[in-house]
Amino acid sequence: MLILSRKLEEEIKIGDSISIKILAIQDGQVKIGIVAPKETKVFRGEIYDQIQKENIEAAKGTKGDVAHAAELLKQKKNKK
Amino acid sequence: MKWKNIQFGELEFEEKHVLNFPYGLIGFEENRKFLVVNDEESEPFRWLVSLDDPELSFPMIDVSTYSEISNKYFPKENVTLFAVASIKEHFDESTVNMRSPIVIDNADRKGKQIVLDDDVLMVRTPLTSFTPVLME
Repeated sequence: MLILSRKLEEEIKIGDSISIKILAIQDGQVKIGIVAPKETKVFRGEIYDQIQKENIEAAKGTKGDVAHAAELLKQKKNKK
Repeated sequence: MKWKNIQFGELEFEEKHVLNFPYGLIGFEENRKFLVVNDEESEPFRWLVSLDDPELSFPMIDVSTYSEISNKYFPKENVTLFAVASIKEHFDESTVNMRSPIVIDNADRKGKQIVLDDDVLMVRTPLTSFTPVLME
């Protein structure tokens, strides 16, 4: 891991096409501006982990459980 | 074309129905080709079946008409939107991922899973709370 110290308004360049700028530092929070090519996915680490975990969970879904859920949905719809 | 999936057995389809995901799905980046499978018993759920891994498929629900996502983020685009569903044995524990829908461009059949910058949309939206939307 490369560790760099940056002050307000200072930037970090990653390769030719990605730049990260410190926009504000306040109350223990840092606001960061990121410029990256469209194909580079940028999102908060925790949300990425959460989505990955959810995709893994979804992939465990069986035809049987899905058919059961579908049946319950249809029943609810008919009641309505 | 033919593909054998562990849950669905042998699937037969035309090449034009293959969806290309240049970046795969989040956590499944090595899977690039998928097929949407309509299984009668699973309706209204549909399946996104990997054409790279015979054991991989995702139940999902069409949210193309769900205005909180479609009107807000894709007002003019010709896309189909799916939310990946985690379906559990107990219906009440099942959830749908509204935060990162799968977007399929209807024109070029390319797909990707995007992450919407919207804290209102939850990764684990209970299916029970989403049911009214499905009934419209």
